[in-house]
Amino acid sequence: MNPPDRRIAHLDMDAFYASVELLRYPELKGLPVVIGGGDDQQSVQDLDGVRQFARLRDYVGRGVVTTSTYEARALGVFSAMGMMKAAKLAPDAVLLPADFNAYRHYSRLFKEAVAVIAPEIEDSGIDEIYIDLTQHPEETLSLACRIKQSVRDATGLSCSIGLSPNKLLSKICSDLEKPDGLTILGADDIPSRIWPLPVRKVNGIGPRATERLASIGINTIEQLSKADPATLQETFGLNYARWLQSASHGVDNRPVVTHLEPRSISRETTFERDLHPRHDRPTLSKIFTDLCDRLSQDLKGRGYLGRTIGIKLRFEDFHTVTRDITITEPTDDATMIRRAGEECLRRVNLNRRIRLLGVRAGSLSATGQSVVGPIMQQQELHLTLE
Amino acid sequence: MKLIQTEKEALLRPLQAVTGIVERRHTLPILSNVLIEKKNENLTFMATDLEIQITTITNNNETTKNELAVTVAAKKLQDILRALPEKALVTLDLEENRLQVKAGKSRFNLQTLPVEDFPKLPESTEQQARITLKQKELKNLLFLVQYAMAQQDIRYYLNGLLLLLEDNHLKAVATDGHRLGFAWVELESNQERKEVILPRKAVLELAKQLNDSDDPVIVEILQNQIKFTFSNIVIVSKIVDGKFPDYNRVIPRGYQKHFEVNRGLLLQTLQRAAILSNEKFRGARIILTTGNLRIVCNNSEQEEAQEELEIKYEGGALDIGFNITYLLDVLNNLTCETVQCSFGDASSSALITVPGNDNFKYVVMPMRI
Repeated sequence: MNPPDRRIAHLDMDAFYASVELLRYPELKGLPVVIGGGDDQQSVQDLDGVRQFARLRDYVGRGVVTTSTYEARALGVFSAMGMMKAAKLAPDAVLLPADFNAYRHYSRLFKEAVAVIAPEIEDSGIDEIYIDLTQHPEETLSLACRIKQSVRDATGLSCSIGLSPNKLLSKICSDLEKPDGLTILGADDIPSRIWPLPVRKVNGIGPRATERLASIGINTIEQLSKADPATLQETFGLNYARWLQSASHGVDNRPVVTHLEPRSISRETTFERDLHPRHDRPTLSKIFTDLCDRLSQDLKGRGYLGRTIGIKLRFEDFHTVTRDITITEPTDDATMIRRAGEECLRRVNLNRRIRLLGVRAGSLSATGQSVVGPIMQQQELHLTLE
Repeated sequence: MKLIQTEKEALLRPLQAVTGIVERRHTLPILSNVLIEKKNENLTFMATDLEIQITTITNNNETTKNELAVTVAAKKLQDILRALPEKALVTLDLEENRLQVKAGKSRFNLQTLPVEDFPKLPESTEQQARITLKQKELKNLLFLVQYAMAQQDIRYYLNGLLLLLEDNHLKAVATDGHRLGFAWVELESNQERKEVILPRKAVLELAKQLNDSDDPVIVEILQNQIKFTFSNIVIVSKIVDGKFPDYNRVIPRGYQKHFEVNRGLLLQTLQRAAILSNEKFRGARIILTTGNLRIVCNNSEQEEAQEELEIKYEGGALDIGFNITYLLDVLNNLTCETVQCSFGDASSSALITVPGNDNFKYVVMPMRI
């Protein structure tokens, strides 16, 4: 069961890329706009200063829609649709190229704005985060409104928030009242609000699982919750079947992970030309030493020691092999890494040219001190129009 | 038909003055071309990128009174002229749709594009303001702030420089959201308040072309355009359609912590420390204690630089971080002997000014340490 006292929010920016573009070109508000394609869709300014935008009808190529505004979605144009197909549905839609630098900038802005109010944040993409509000003293509704407002103040963009006892439900909820939505859901609301939804709405039930569920007569989450466990297990295997049913009952105990510990740290390089293990030995040896040095710096910089050292080789025919070795003392020392790497190399049959070499440190333990000081963060001028 | 015969330098110099804005690869081929027009004894070169248009006018002292015009690839013509020997006598001949460049035993046949297709900016007639100042004054004004302009910022109005006419001042403001430069120069007469945002490319081009003389530059603000006329050059640029942020609110007032320091000395000290600053984040810690300024930089290899300067300072201890590039920029572009640095607390902006001179202010936000 869910621990009853958790308060988890899922915040999802509304049509994020498209909305960022509308900040830049406010004149496109209310029009169907599609983001996708390459730079040749760049708008140009006319001689008289009027900006001319590319139209979807003129698109020729094999690109897919990255995202679209709600106006374009109303015409049936959604993410990942082929652009030529989209052009048939919405020939007059404005077509803009994706500008990921701008999206990253606004992504940082909204996450920073939320962090000021509630710092327990799990980053789950450029336009969405989970926030653990369990420890926050403020009442749920006013807190959620305040977060929405601060995102709006910081970016000029709207977002939708779903709030429930866990990540699974919150993710479903944030989608229920888009755009600019706020949905708060308690365990009691599951039968009335979650069960009528199609199974596809559950994050983790993809198109193929949806298809297979349909084939055994399950279309809604309610049907899933009442399905015969044996049938489910037959179709999906024990683990996924168990997960499906607990999900359908809105159970999810995953914590909000605010900090990710790395499993391994590695460095690899593809050579400018394939190198022969014997004839190019000096070159290979130098590259190997450099990789070990850089891996050592990475480990020291992030404050980790590795106990498993591994190598990766890719041959000219793209055949790839890895070998690793566990050493007695965890290390971040370049010479120790190099020595362990050599041990691994001896276990590989070097009979072809090599195109890639990599070195990896795994089974990491924290040294307790990351020697890189905290990275300084540039503050912004508070620029306002009069 | 002969267009002109003259020494290479007499063609190359005015040509080079206009080619700076020509885009090498453009969807409109004619934008790679320069328009050469001969009207009586005047020879003009014109280039445009649809945002800016530059024209140079030279007197060619020729007696032939004919009118001719042609457009030809700007960079190619420039490369050819540049490669010819010094003082070479060059002839430009227009034959059918070809331009022939002749010098000594060299012959170059260049293709041309129709003159009618060359997109001259429509001449805006509605003049909203006109001022005249010395070229060196405008040049200095631009250099004081242009480095603070944003580059490809989504806030497009920051990718340029605010020119503001107010009372008898011409003010210039540039900001990239992290730092802001503000400067003004006095004009001969009072002006009606008027503000325009000059696009980044036009600012850089103008700053490059103005010289350090007392010769005049005429600035005309037109409908959607701004025009600069100086030496034998005319630059017309579109203006950025947008509202510039209120710079006044960003300039701090009433700071209690300040010190004065020799500009060159501080610049050299920071340049040394910057060698070991993080290449990506460029952070530097500025640590102020009574009578002492300490600068500390670290890079990702855990190397460290420390510098100390004795200063006259009694404002209380302060430990504050900055992007060292933003400090180097301002010190590099000032020419004065001494600068004054003023601070609030570790999370407030710093203010850099010139003692005894209120026509320059530079505001820079700190980095959170």
